[in-house]
Amino acid sequence: MAAVSPKERVVVVSQSSLLVFLYIFLYFPIFFIIYVSFVDNTVWPFPPVFTWEWYERLWIMSDFHLGLLNSFLIGIGTGALSSIFAASAAIGLLKYQSRLRGLFAVLYLSPLFVAGILIGISSLMFHRNILGLPGNLTSAILANTTQALSFAFLVILAQLTRYDWRMDEAAMVFGARPARCFWEVTLPTIWPSVLGAFLVSFILAFNNLEVTFYNVGAIPTLPTIAWGTLRHGIEPELYSLATVINGLVFFILIILFFLIRLGFVRLGYRGQ
Amino acid sequence: MVSFWKLRQSPNFRFAMLTLPGALFLLIFLVLPLISILIFSFWRTESYQLIADWNIENYKTILGQKTYLTFMWRSLVMAVSVSLVCLIYAYPVAYLVAKRGGRYRLILVLLTAAPFFTGIILRVTAMQQILGPIGLLNMALQTFGFEPIQILMYSNVASAIGLVYLWIPFMVLAIYLSLLNFNFELLEVAYVNGAKPWRAFLEITWPLNWIGTAIGIVLVFIPTFAAFVTPRFLGGVNGALYGNILEHQFGATGTWALGSAMGVVLFFICLIFIMIIWRTINLQRSGYTGEEF
Repeated sequence: MAAVSPKERVVVVSQSSLLVFLYIFLYFPIFFIIYVSFVDNTVWPFPPVFTWEWYERLWIMSDFHLGLLNSFLIGIGTGALSSIFAASAAIGLLKYQSRLRGLFAVLYLSPLFVAGILIGISSLMFHRNILGLPGNLTSAILANTTQALSFAFLVILAQLTRYDWRMDEAAMVFGARPARCFWEVTLPTIWPSVLGAFLVSFILAFNNLEVTFYNVGAIPTLPTIAWGTLRHGIEPELYSLATVINGLVFFILIILFFLIRLGFVRLGYRGQ
Repeated sequence: MVSFWKLRQSPNFRFAMLTLPGALFLLIFLVLPLISILIFSFWRTESYQLIADWNIENYKTILGQKTYLTFMWRSLVMAVSVSLVCLIYAYPVAYLVAKRGGRYRLILVLLTAAPFFTGIILRVTAMQQILGPIGLLNMALQTFGFEPIQILMYSNVASAIGLVYLWIPFMVLAIYLSLLNFNFELLEVAYVNGAKPWRAFLEITWPLNWIGTAIGIVLVFIPTFAAFVTPRFLGGVNGALYGNILEHQFGATGTWALGSAMGVVLFFICLIFIMIIWRTINLQRSGYTGEEF
Protein backbone atom coordinates (compact mmCIF):
# COMPACT_ATOMS: atom_id res chain seq x y z
CA MET A 1 0.00 0.00 0.00
CA ALA A 2 1.33 3.40 -0.97
CA ALA A 3 2.04 6.04 1.64
CA VAL A 4 -1.11 7.90 2.66
CA SER A 5 -1.64 11.29 4.21
CA PRO A 6 -3.30 11.49 7.66
CA LYS A 7 -6.50 12.72 6.06
CA GLU A 8 -6.59 9.83 3.62
CA ARG A 9 -5.85 7.47 6.47
CA VAL A 10 -9.08 8.54 8.17
CA VAL A 11 -10.99 7.79 4.94
CA VAL A 12 -9.34 4.40 4.51
CA VAL A 13 -9.93 3.45 8.14
CA SER A 14 -13.61 4.39 8.00
CA GLN A 15 -14.08 2.56 4.68
CA SER A 16 -12.32 -0.49 6.13
CA SER A 17 -14.59 -0.48 9.17
CA LEU A 18 -17.60 -0.35 6.84
CA LEU A 19 -16.20 -3.38 5.00
CA VAL A 20 -15.56 -5.28 8.22
CA PHE A 21 -19.04 -4.44 9.49
CA LEU A 22 -20.50 -5.63 6.16
CA TYR A 23 -18.73 -8.98 6.56
CA ILE A 24 -20.06 -9.31 10.12
CA PHE A 25 -23.57 -8.35 8.96
CA LEU A 26 -23.42 -10.91 6.12
CA TYR A 27 -21.75 -13.79 7.93
CA PHE A 28 -22.81 -13.54 11.56
CA PRO A 29 -26.41 -14.78 10.95
CA ILE A 30 -25.07 -17.66 8.83
CA PHE A 31 -22.53 -18.78 11.41
CA PHE A 32 -24.98 -18.27 14.23
CA ILE A 33 -27.49 -20.61 12.57
CA ILE A 34 -24.74 -23.20 12.07
CA TYR A 35 -23.84 -22.90 15.76
CA VAL A 36 -27.47 -23.19 16.85
CA SER A 37 -27.91 -26.37 14.78
CA PHE A 38 -25.55 -28.15 17.17
CA VAL A 39 -27.15 -27.09 20.46
CA ASP A 40 -30.20 -28.23 22.38
CA ASN A 41 -31.12 -24.84 23.88
CA THR A 42 -31.77 -23.09 20.57
CA VAL A 43 -33.57 -20.02 21.92
CA TRP A 44 -30.73 -18.69 24.10
CA PRO A 45 -27.78 -20.99 23.40
CA PHE A 46 -25.39 -19.67 26.08
CA PRO A 47 -23.82 -21.72 27.53
CA PRO A 48 -24.39 -24.33 24.79
CA VAL A 49 -25.71 -27.83 25.44
CA PHE A 50 -24.46 -29.73 22.43
CA THR A 51 -26.64 -32.26 20.64
CA TRP A 52 -26.97 -34.11 17.33
CA GLU A 53 -30.73 -34.25 17.66
CA TRP A 54 -31.55 -31.77 14.88
CA TYR A 55 -29.40 -33.73 12.45
CA GLU A 56 -31.02 -37.00 13.47
CA ARG A 57 -34.47 -35.45 13.01
CA LEU A 58 -33.44 -34.09 9.64
CA TRP A 59 -32.13 -37.49 8.61
CA ILE A 60 -35.38 -39.27 9.42
CA MET A 61 -37.55 -36.52 7.90
CA SER A 62 -39.45 -38.30 5.14
CA ASP A 63 -39.02 -35.63 2.47
CA PHE A 64 -35.40 -34.79 3.18
CA HIS A 65 -33.68 -37.42 1.02
CA LEU A 66 -36.11 -36.97 -1.82
CA GLY A 67 -35.76 -33.19 -1.56
CA LEU A 68 -31.99 -33.41 -1.62
CA LEU A 69 -32.08 -35.68 -4.67
CA ASN A 70 -34.57 -33.46 -6.51
CA SER A 71 -32.62 -30.30 -5.75
CA PHE A 72 -29.50 -32.03 -7.08
CA LEU A 73 -31.30 -33.07 -10.26
CA ILE A 74 -32.66 -29.56 -10.83
CA GLY A 75 -29.20 -28.14 -10.20
CA ILE A 76 -27.46 -30.53 -12.57
CA GLY A 77 -30.04 -30.15 -15.34
CA THR A 78 -30.03 -26.36 -15.08
CA GLY A 79 -26.25 -26.23 -14.77
CA ALA A 80 -25.73 -28.37 -17.87
CA LEU A 81 -28.23 -26.47 -20.04
CA SER A 82 -27.07 -23.04 -18.86
CA SER A 83 -23.35 -23.64 -19.22
CA ILE A 84 -23.70 -25.15 -22.71
CA PHE A 85 -25.94 -22.33 -23.99
CA ALA A 86 -23.81 -19.68 -22.27
CA ALA A 87 -20.46 -21.03 -23.50
CA SER A 88 -21.72 -21.30 -27.04
CA ALA A 89 -23.18 -17.79 -26.94
CA ALA A 90 -20.12 -16.20 -25.35
CA ILE A 91 -17.80 -17.79 -27.94
CA GLY A 92 -20.09 -16.69 -30.78
CA LEU A 93 -20.31 -13.12 -29.48
CA LEU A 94 -16.60 -12.69 -28.91
CA LYS A 95 -15.19 -14.63 -31.84
CA TYR A 96 -17.31 -13.24 -34.66
CA GLN A 97 -17.68 -9.49 -35.09
CA SER A 98 -21.36 -9.56 -35.93
CA ARG A 99 -23.41 -6.36 -35.97
CA LEU A 100 -26.04 -8.20 -33.95
CA ARG A 101 -23.81 -8.91 -30.96
CA GLY A 102 -25.14 -5.99 -28.92
CA LEU A 103 -28.70 -7.21 -29.40
CA PHE A 104 -27.80 -10.76 -28.42
CA ALA A 105 -25.83 -9.59 -25.37
CA VAL A 106 -28.89 -7.64 -24.20
CA LEU A 107 -31.13 -10.68 -24.71
CA TYR A 108 -28.77 -12.97 -22.79
CA LEU A 109 -28.58 -10.55 -19.87
CA SER A 110 -32.28 -9.61 -19.83
CA PRO A 111 -33.35 -12.36 -17.36
CA LEU A 112 -31.28 -10.56 -14.69
CA PHE A 113 -33.79 -7.73 -14.89
CA VAL A 114 -36.92 -9.85 -14.55
CA ALA A 115 -38.03 -10.53 -10.98
CA GLY A 116 -37.69 -14.18 -9.92
CA ILE A 117 -41.34 -14.50 -8.90
CA LEU A 118 -42.37 -13.22 -12.34
CA ILE A 119 -40.29 -15.91 -14.05
CA GLY A 120 -41.87 -18.39 -11.64
CA ILE A 121 -45.51 -17.52 -12.25
CA SER A 122 -45.19 -16.83 -15.99
CA SER A 123 -43.45 -20.19 -16.54
CA LEU A 124 -46.13 -21.89 -14.46
CA MET A 125 -48.91 -20.38 -16.58
CA PHE A 126 -47.10 -21.00 -19.88
CA HIS A 127 -45.96 -24.56 -19.15
CA ARG A 128 -49.27 -25.67 -17.74
CA ASN A 129 -51.79 -23.89 -19.94
CA ILE A 130 -49.97 -23.71 -23.25
CA LEU A 131 -47.37 -26.48 -23.35
CA GLY A 132 -49.55 -28.83 -21.28
CA LEU A 133 -46.49 -29.55 -19.13
CA PRO A 134 -47.47 -30.27 -15.51
CA GLY A 135 -45.30 -29.17 -12.61
CA ASN A 136 -42.32 -31.54 -12.42
CA LEU A 137 -38.52 -31.58 -12.53
CA THR A 138 -38.36 -30.89 -16.29
CA SER A 139 -40.61 -27.89 -15.92
CA ALA A 140 -38.52 -26.59 -13.00
CA ILE A 141 -35.25 -27.10 -14.92
CA LEU A 142 -36.56 -25.23 -17.97
CA ALA A 143 -37.77 -22.30 -15.87
CA ASN A 144 -34.60 -22.12 -13.77
CA THR A 145 -32.37 -22.21 -16.83
CA THR A 146 -33.67 -18.83 -18.07
CA GLN A 147 -32.29 -17.03 -15.02
CA ALA A 148 -29.20 -19.19 -14.48
CA LEU A 149 -28.26 -18.76 -18.15
CA SER A 150 -27.58 -15.05 -17.57
CA PHE A 151 -25.29 -15.72 -14.64
CA ALA A 152 -23.46 -18.47 -16.54
CA PHE A 153 -23.10 -16.13 -19.52
CA LEU A 154 -21.59 -13.41 -17.31
CA VAL A 155 -19.13 -15.85 -15.73
CA ILE A 156 -17.89 -17.13 -19.09
CA LEU A 157 -17.90 -13.72 -20.77
CA ALA A 158 -15.82 -12.20 -17.95
CA GLN A 159 -13.10 -14.80 -18.48
CA LEU A 160 -13.33 -15.13 -22.23
CA THR A 161 -12.60 -11.44 -22.85
CA ARG A 162 -9.00 -12.34 -21.99
CA TYR A 163 -8.90 -15.18 -24.51
CA ASP A 164 -6.66 -14.66 -27.53
CA TRP A 165 -8.67 -15.60 -30.61
CA ARG A 166 -5.49 -15.68 -32.72
CA MET A 167 -4.98 -19.18 -31.32
CA ASP A 168 -8.15 -20.27 -33.05
CA GLU A 169 -7.10 -18.52 -36.23
CA ALA A 170 -3.76 -20.31 -36.07
CA ALA A 171 -5.54 -23.65 -35.76
CA MET A 172 -7.82 -22.78 -38.68
CA VAL A 173 -4.87 -21.73 -40.83
CA PHE A 174 -3.43 -25.19 -40.30
CA GLY A 175 -6.66 -26.64 -41.55
CA ALA A 176 -8.66 -27.41 -38.38
CA ARG A 177 -12.44 -27.28 -38.82
CA PRO A 178 -14.34 -25.13 -36.30
CA ALA A 179 -15.47 -28.15 -34.28
CA ARG A 180 -11.97 -29.59 -34.02
CA CYS A 181 -10.60 -26.15 -33.20
CA PHE A 182 -13.13 -25.93 -30.36
CA TRP A 183 -12.32 -29.33 -28.87
CA GLU A 184 -8.56 -29.11 -29.21
CA VAL A 185 -7.77 -25.42 -28.74
CA THR A 186 -10.62 -23.39 -27.24
CA LEU A 187 -12.14 -25.82 -24.73
CA PRO A 188 -8.83 -27.03 -23.20
CA THR A 189 -8.05 -23.38 -22.43
CA ILE A 190 -11.43 -22.11 -21.26
CA TRP A 191 -12.78 -25.16 -19.38
CA PRO A 192 -12.33 -23.58 -15.92
CA SER A 193 -14.75 -20.81 -16.85
CA VAL A 194 -17.28 -23.26 -18.31
CA LEU A 195 -17.09 -25.42 -15.19
CA GLY A 196 -17.37 -22.24 -13.11
CA ALA A 197 -20.52 -21.29 -15.02
CA PHE A 198 -21.90 -24.79 -14.45
CA LEU A 199 -21.27 -24.55 -10.70
CA VAL A 200 -22.80 -21.07 -10.41
CA SER A 201 -25.96 -22.10 -12.23
CA PHE A 202 -26.03 -25.37 -10.27
CA ILE A 203 -26.02 -23.52 -6.93
CA LEU A 204 -28.61 -20.98 -8.09
CA ALA A 205 -31.04 -23.67 -9.25
CA PHE A 206 -30.30 -25.92 -6.26
CA ASN A 207 -31.28 -23.15 -3.84
CA ASN A 208 -33.94 -21.45 -5.91
CA LEU A 209 -37.30 -20.98 -4.28
CA GLU A 210 -39.48 -18.60 -6.25
CA VAL A 211 -38.97 -20.17 -9.67
CA THR A 212 -38.81 -23.78 -8.50
CA PHE A 213 -41.76 -23.52 -6.12
CA TYR A 214 -44.20 -22.63 -8.89
CA ASN A 215 -42.88 -25.12 -11.44
CA VAL A 216 -42.07 -28.27 -9.53
CA GLY A 217 -45.64 -29.26 -8.67
CA ALA A 218 -45.95 -31.33 -5.51
CA ILE A 219 -42.40 -32.71 -5.74
CA PRO A 220 -40.28 -31.70 -2.72
CA THR A 221 -36.97 -29.86 -3.08
CA LEU A 222 -34.83 -28.55 -0.22
CA PRO A 223 -35.90 -24.89 -0.59
CA THR A 224 -39.60 -25.79 -0.87
CA ILE A 225 -39.29 -28.03 2.23
CA ALA A 226 -37.64 -25.12 4.07
CA TRP A 227 -40.40 -22.77 2.88
CA GLY A 228 -43.09 -25.20 4.03
CA THR A 229 -41.44 -25.69 7.43
CA LEU A 230 -40.86 -21.98 7.95
CA ARG A 231 -44.53 -21.24 7.31
CA HIS A 232 -45.45 -23.28 10.37
CA GLY A 233 -42.94 -21.38 12.48
CA ILE A 234 -39.21 -22.02 12.88
CA GLU A 235 -38.35 -25.59 13.74
CA PRO A 236 -34.85 -26.66 14.73
CA GLU A 237 -34.62 -29.10 11.77
CA LEU A 238 -34.37 -25.98 9.65
CA TYR A 239 -31.06 -25.10 11.31
CA SER A 240 -29.47 -28.43 10.48
CA LEU A 241 -30.90 -28.22 6.95
CA ALA A 242 -29.42 -24.73 6.58
CA THR A 243 -26.06 -25.96 7.85
CA VAL A 244 -26.00 -28.83 5.37
CA ILE A 245 -26.85 -26.51 2.45
CA ASN A 246 -24.41 -23.80 3.57
CA GLY A 247 -21.66 -26.39 3.86
CA LEU A 248 -22.35 -27.62 0.35
CA VAL A 249 -22.49 -24.06 -1.06
CA PHE A 250 -19.22 -23.02 0.57
CA PHE A 251 -17.53 -26.18 -0.64
CA ILE A 252 -18.60 -25.37 -4.21
CA LEU A 253 -17.57 -21.72 -3.83
CA ILE A 254 -14.06 -22.76 -2.77
CA ILE A 255 -13.80 -24.91 -5.90
CA LEU A 256 -15.12 -21.94 -7.88
CA PHE A 257 -12.51 -19.62 -6.41
CA PHE A 258 -9.68 -21.91 -7.45
CA LEU A 259 -11.23 -22.32 -10.90
CA ILE A 260 -11.25 -18.54 -11.36
CA ARG A 261 -7.60 -18.39 -10.30
CA LEU A 262 -6.80 -21.27 -12.64
CA GLY A 263 -8.66 -19.48 -15.43
CA PHE A 264 -6.54 -16.37 -14.89
CA VAL A 265 -3.36 -18.41 -14.98
CA ARG A 266 -4.30 -20.36 -18.10
CA LEU A 267 -5.47 -17.32 -20.01
CA GLY A 268 -2.52 -15.35 -18.64
CA TYR A 269 -0.17 -17.42 -20.81
CA ARG A 270 -1.45 -15.64 -23.90
CA GLY A 271 0.44 -12.54 -22.87
CA GLN A 272 -1.92 -9.85 -24.13
CA MET B 1 -25.21 -27.50 -52.44
CA VAL B 2 -22.14 -25.42 -53.17
CA SER B 3 -23.87 -22.33 -51.87
CA PHE B 4 -24.77 -24.12 -48.65
CA TRP B 5 -21.12 -25.05 -48.21
CA LYS B 6 -20.19 -21.42 -48.70
CA LEU B 7 -22.84 -20.35 -46.22
CA ARG B 8 -21.42 -22.70 -43.61
CA GLN B 9 -18.04 -21.06 -44.02
CA SER B 10 -19.34 -17.54 -43.46
CA PRO B 11 -18.71 -15.90 -40.07
CA ASN B 12 -22.33 -14.77 -39.88
CA PHE B 13 -23.57 -18.35 -40.18
CA ARG B 14 -21.18 -19.52 -37.47
CA PHE B 15 -22.17 -16.59 -35.27
CA ALA B 16 -25.81 -17.60 -35.67
CA MET B 17 -25.10 -21.28 -34.99
CA LEU B 18 -23.40 -20.40 -31.72
CA THR B 19 -25.70 -17.68 -30.41
CA LEU B 20 -29.11 -18.79 -31.66
CA PRO B 21 -29.69 -21.91 -29.49
CA GLY B 22 -29.58 -19.98 -26.22
CA ALA B 23 -31.45 -17.05 -27.74
CA LEU B 24 -34.24 -19.34 -28.97
CA PHE B 25 -34.37 -20.98 -25.56
CA LEU B 26 -34.82 -17.57 -23.93
CA LEU B 27 -37.46 -16.56 -26.46
CA ILE B 28 -39.46 -19.73 -25.81
CA PHE B 29 -39.03 -20.09 -22.06
CA LEU B 30 -38.73 -16.47 -20.94
CA VAL B 31 -40.37 -14.18 -23.49
CA LEU B 32 -43.31 -16.42 -24.46
CA PRO B 33 -44.28 -17.04 -20.81
CA LEU B 34 -44.26 -13.28 -20.21
CA ILE B 35 -46.45 -12.77 -23.28
CA SER B 36 -48.74 -15.58 -22.13
CA ILE B 37 -49.43 -13.92 -18.78
CA LEU B 38 -50.15 -10.70 -20.66
CA ILE B 39 -52.84 -12.63 -22.57
CA PHE B 40 -54.21 -14.43 -19.49
CA SER B 41 -54.39 -11.11 -17.66
CA PHE B 42 -57.31 -10.17 -19.96
CA TRP B 43 -59.17 -13.41 -19.18
CA ARG B 44 -61.03 -14.35 -16.05
CA THR B 45 -60.89 -17.22 -13.58
CA GLU B 46 -63.86 -19.24 -12.45
CA SER B 47 -63.43 -21.92 -9.77
CA TYR B 48 -59.72 -22.40 -10.48
CA GLN B 49 -60.21 -22.45 -14.28
CA LEU B 50 -59.02 -19.87 -16.78
CA ILE B 51 -61.79 -18.74 -19.11
CA ALA B 52 -61.05 -16.93 -22.37
CA ASP B 53 -63.56 -14.19 -21.83
CA TRP B 54 -61.77 -10.97 -22.77
CA ASN B 55 -62.14 -8.14 -20.27
CA ILE B 56 -60.13 -5.55 -18.38
CA GLU B 57 -61.70 -6.19 -14.98
CA ASN B 58 -58.40 -7.44 -13.51
CA TYR B 59 -56.66 -4.17 -14.29
CA LYS B 60 -59.63 -2.20 -12.96
CA THR B 61 -59.30 -4.16 -9.72
CA ILE B 62 -55.55 -3.62 -9.38
CA LEU B 63 -55.41 0.02 -10.43
CA GLY B 64 -58.77 1.05 -8.96
CA GLN B 65 -58.96 -0.59 -5.54
CA LYS B 66 -57.30 1.13 -2.66
CA THR B 67 -55.89 -2.08 -1.12
CA TYR B 68 -53.88 -2.99 -4.20
CA LEU B 69 -52.59 0.55 -4.61
CA THR B 70 -51.55 0.59 -0.97
CA PHE B 71 -49.51 -2.59 -1.39
CA MET B 72 -47.97 -1.19 -4.56
CA TRP B 73 -47.05 2.05 -2.81
CA ARG B 74 -45.55 0.17 0.16
CA SER B 75 -43.43 -1.96 -2.15
CA LEU B 76 -42.29 1.12 -4.04
CA VAL B 77 -41.25 2.91 -0.84
CA MET B 78 -39.52 -0.26 0.35
CA ALA B 79 -37.67 -0.78 -2.95
CA VAL B 80 -36.51 2.84 -3.17
CA SER B 81 -35.31 2.96 0.45
CA VAL B 82 -33.58 -0.43 0.31
CA SER B 83 -31.83 0.55 -2.96
CA LEU B 84 -30.71 3.84 -1.40
CA VAL B 85 -29.36 2.19 1.74
CA CYS B 86 -27.53 -0.42 -0.34
CA LEU B 87 -26.11 2.30 -2.61
CA ILE B 88 -24.87 4.50 0.23
CA TYR B 89 -23.35 1.58 2.08
CA ALA B 90 -21.91 -0.32 -0.88
CA TYR B 91 -20.19 2.59 -2.62
CA PRO B 92 -17.40 3.25 -0.09
CA VAL B 93 -16.91 -0.49 0.41
CA ALA B 94 -16.59 -1.21 -3.31
CA TYR B 95 -14.36 1.86 -3.68
CA LEU B 96 -12.02 0.65 -0.96
CA VAL B 97 -11.72 -2.85 -2.42
CA ALA B 98 -11.24 -1.65 -6.00
CA LYS B 99 -8.69 1.03 -5.10
CA ARG B 100 -6.73 -0.53 -2.28
CA GLY B 101 -7.57 -4.24 -2.41
CA GLY B 102 -4.40 -4.98 -4.38
CA ARG B 103 -3.82 -8.69 -4.82
CA TYR B 104 -6.57 -9.49 -2.32
CA ARG B 105 -9.36 -7.66 -4.10
CA LEU B 106 -10.76 -10.75 -5.84
CA ILE B 107 -11.16 -12.61 -2.57
CA LEU B 108 -12.39 -9.49 -0.73
CA VAL B 109 -15.18 -8.91 -3.25
CA LEU B 110 -16.06 -12.61 -3.58
CA LEU B 111 -16.52 -12.71 0.20
CA THR B 112 -19.26 -10.10 -0.09
CA ALA B 113 -20.89 -12.05 -2.93
CA ALA B 114 -20.66 -15.55 -1.41
CA PRO B 115 -23.68 -15.37 0.95
CA PHE B 116 -25.91 -14.64 -2.06
CA PHE B 117 -25.45 -18.26 -3.14
CA THR B 118 -26.92 -19.80 0.00
CA GLY B 119 -30.41 -18.98 -1.24
CA ILE B 120 -33.14 -16.58 -0.18
CA ILE B 121 -35.02 -18.88 2.15
CA LEU B 122 -32.04 -19.84 4.30
CA ARG B 123 -30.82 -16.27 4.53
CA VAL B 124 -34.25 -15.09 5.65
CA THR B 125 -34.32 -17.91 8.21
CA ALA B 126 -30.91 -16.78 9.46
CA MET B 127 -32.14 -13.20 9.69
CA GLN B 128 -35.28 -14.24 11.56
CA GLN B 129 -33.07 -16.09 14.02
CA ILE B 130 -31.40 -12.74 14.78
CA LEU B 131 -34.32 -10.27 14.57
CA GLY B 132 -37.39 -12.33 15.50
CA PRO B 133 -39.17 -12.21 18.89
CA ILE B 134 -37.14 -15.20 20.09
CA GLY B 135 -34.19 -14.11 17.99
CA LEU B 136 -30.72 -13.52 19.35
CA LEU B 137 -31.00 -9.73 19.57
CA ASN B 138 -34.20 -9.76 21.54
CA MET B 139 -33.18 -12.60 23.84
CA ALA B 140 -29.90 -10.82 24.56
CA LEU B 141 -31.77 -7.64 25.48
CA GLN B 142 -34.13 -9.55 27.75
CA THR B 143 -31.34 -11.54 29.38
CA PHE B 144 -29.50 -8.37 30.28
CA GLY B 145 -32.69 -6.71 31.50
CA PHE B 146 -33.49 -4.32 28.67
CA GLU B 147 -36.77 -3.66 26.90
CA PRO B 148 -37.17 -5.45 23.54
CA ILE B 149 -36.76 -3.18 20.52
CA GLN B 150 -40.24 -3.40 19.01
CA ILE B 151 -39.29 -1.83 15.71
CA LEU B 152 -36.87 -4.64 14.87
CA MET B 153 -39.48 -7.35 15.40
CA TYR B 154 -41.96 -8.11 12.66
CA SER B 155 -42.01 -4.66 11.12
CA ASN B 156 -41.24 -2.97 7.83
CA VAL B 157 -37.88 -1.96 9.27
CA ALA B 158 -37.08 -5.63 9.90
CA SER B 159 -38.15 -6.40 6.30
CA ALA B 160 -35.91 -3.64 5.02
CA ILE B 161 -32.92 -4.93 7.00
CA GLY B 162 -33.62 -8.41 5.62
CA LEU B 163 -33.82 -7.10 2.06
CA VAL B 164 -30.59 -5.11 2.41
CA TYR B 165 -29.05 -8.31 3.75
CA LEU B 166 -30.27 -10.26 0.70
CA TRP B 167 -29.37 -7.86 -2.10
CA ILE B 168 -26.43 -5.68 -1.03
CA PRO B 169 -23.98 -8.17 -2.65
CA PHE B 170 -25.35 -7.18 -6.10
CA MET B 171 -24.74 -3.50 -5.40
CA VAL B 172 -21.18 -4.06 -4.13
CA LEU B 173 -20.39 -6.26 -7.12
CA ALA B 174 -21.84 -3.88 -9.73
CA ILE B 175 -20.03 -0.81 -8.36
CA TYR B 176 -16.82 -2.79 -7.85
CA LEU B 177 -16.80 -4.05 -11.45
CA SER B 178 -17.30 -0.49 -12.67
CA LEU B 179 -14.53 0.93 -10.46
CA LEU B 180 -12.22 -1.86 -11.63
CA ASN B 181 -12.09 -0.22 -15.05
CA PHE B 182 -11.90 3.30 -13.62
CA ASN B 183 -8.64 5.18 -13.88
CA PHE B 184 -8.00 6.49 -10.35
CA GLU B 185 -5.20 8.70 -11.68
CA LEU B 186 -7.89 11.02 -13.04
CA LEU B 187 -8.55 11.98 -9.42
CA GLU B 188 -4.91 12.85 -8.85
CA VAL B 189 -5.12 15.19 -11.82
CA ALA B 190 -8.16 16.85 -10.26
CA TYR B 191 -6.44 17.19 -6.87
CA VAL B 192 -3.32 18.69 -8.46
CA ASN B 193 -5.56 21.23 -10.12
CA GLY B 194 -7.02 22.17 -6.78
CA ALA B 195 -10.26 20.18 -6.62
CA LYS B 196 -11.53 19.20 -3.17
CA PRO B 197 -12.08 15.42 -2.72
CA TRP B 198 -15.90 15.70 -2.66
CA ARG B 199 -15.86 17.77 -5.85
CA ALA B 200 -13.53 15.31 -7.57
CA PHE B 201 -15.91 12.52 -6.49
CA LEU B 202 -19.05 14.30 -7.72
CA GLU B 203 -17.57 15.41 -11.04
CA ILE B 204 -15.31 12.48 -11.91
CA THR B 205 -15.82 9.26 -9.96
CA TRP B 206 -19.63 9.37 -9.72
CA PRO B 207 -20.44 10.25 -13.39
CA LEU B 208 -17.75 7.99 -14.85
CA ASN B 209 -19.06 5.03 -12.85
CA TRP B 210 -22.74 5.86 -13.15
CA ILE B 211 -23.56 2.98 -15.55
CA GLY B 212 -22.25 0.34 -13.14
CA THR B 213 -23.94 2.11 -10.23
CA ALA B 214 -27.23 2.33 -12.14
CA ILE B 215 -27.08 -1.40 -12.93
CA GLY B 216 -26.52 -2.05 -9.21
CA ILE B 217 -29.53 0.09 -8.29
CA VAL B 218 -31.78 -1.73 -10.78
CA LEU B 219 -30.51 -5.15 -9.63
CA VAL B 220 -31.48 -4.29 -6.04
CA PHE B 221 -34.71 -2.44 -6.87
CA ILE B 222 -36.34 -5.23 -8.89
CA PRO B 223 -36.07 -8.16 -6.44
CA THR B 224 -36.95 -5.82 -3.56
CA PHE B 225 -40.07 -4.56 -5.31
CA ALA B 226 -41.11 -8.16 -6.03
CA ALA B 227 -40.11 -9.50 -2.59
CA PHE B 228 -42.51 -11.91 -0.90
CA VAL B 229 -40.43 -14.25 1.28
CA THR B 230 -38.74 -11.54 3.34
CA PRO B 231 -41.86 -9.48 4.22
CA ARG B 232 -43.72 -12.69 5.00
CA PHE B 233 -41.23 -13.84 7.62
CA LEU B 234 -39.86 -10.54 8.89
CA GLY B 235 -42.64 -8.04 8.13
CA GLY B 236 -45.31 -9.16 10.58
CA VAL B 237 -49.06 -8.51 10.31
CA ASN B 238 -48.84 -5.15 8.58
CA GLY B 239 -45.74 -5.98 6.60
CA ALA B 240 -47.30 -7.60 3.53
CA LEU B 241 -45.99 -6.19 0.25
CA TYR B 242 -47.11 -6.37 -3.38
CA GLY B 243 -45.25 -9.68 -3.82
CA ASN B 244 -47.33 -11.26 -1.06
CA ILE B 245 -50.71 -10.56 -2.62
CA LEU B 246 -49.29 -11.58 -6.01
CA GLU B 247 -48.16 -14.88 -4.51
CA HIS B 248 -51.57 -15.25 -2.86
CA GLN B 249 -53.35 -15.30 -6.26
CA PHE B 250 -51.36 -18.37 -7.28
CA GLY B 251 -51.79 -20.12 -3.96
CA ALA B 252 -54.94 -20.40 -1.91
CA THR B 253 -57.31 -18.33 -4.03
CA GLY B 254 -56.22 -19.69 -7.43
CA THR B 255 -57.24 -16.54 -9.25
CA TRP B 256 -54.83 -17.03 -12.14
CA ALA B 257 -56.12 -14.22 -14.33
CA LEU B 258 -55.91 -11.56 -11.62
CA GLY B 259 -52.49 -12.90 -10.62
CA SER B 260 -51.32 -12.67 -14.24
CA ALA B 261 -52.47 -9.07 -14.40
CA MET B 262 -50.59 -8.34 -11.19
CA GLY B 263 -47.50 -9.92 -12.74
CA VAL B 264 -47.89 -7.73 -15.82
CA VAL B 265 -48.23 -4.62 -13.64
CA LEU B 266 -45.10 -5.68 -11.72
CA PHE B 267 -43.24 -6.11 -15.00
CA PHE B 268 -44.21 -2.67 -16.26
CA ILE B 269 -43.36 -0.92 -12.99
CA CYS B 270 -39.88 -2.46 -13.15
CA LEU B 271 -39.62 -1.52 -16.83
CA ILE B 272 -40.60 2.09 -16.11
CA PHE B 273 -38.00 2.20 -13.34
CA ILE B 274 -35.32 0.83 -15.71
CA MET B 275 -36.30 3.41 -18.33
CA ILE B 276 -36.11 6.28 -15.83
CA ILE B 277 -32.64 5.13 -14.81
CA TRP B 278 -31.68 4.62 -18.46
CA ARG B 279 -32.63 8.22 -19.27
CA THR B 280 -30.04 9.42 -16.77
CA ILE B 281 -27.24 7.58 -18.55
CA ASN B 282 -25.19 9.74 -20.86
CA LEU B 283 -22.78 7.46 -22.69
CA GLN B 284 -20.29 10.21 -23.50
CA ARG B 285 -20.24 11.43 -19.89
CA SER B 286 -19.65 7.84 -18.78
CA GLY B 287 -16.42 7.55 -20.72
CA TYR B 288 -17.96 5.24 -23.33
CA THR B 289 -15.54 4.87 -26.20
CA GLY B 290 -17.63 2.87 -28.65
CA GLU B 291 -16.10 -0.51 -27.81
CA GLU B 292 -18.74 -3.04 -26.98
CA PHE B 293 -16.87 -5.32 -24.64
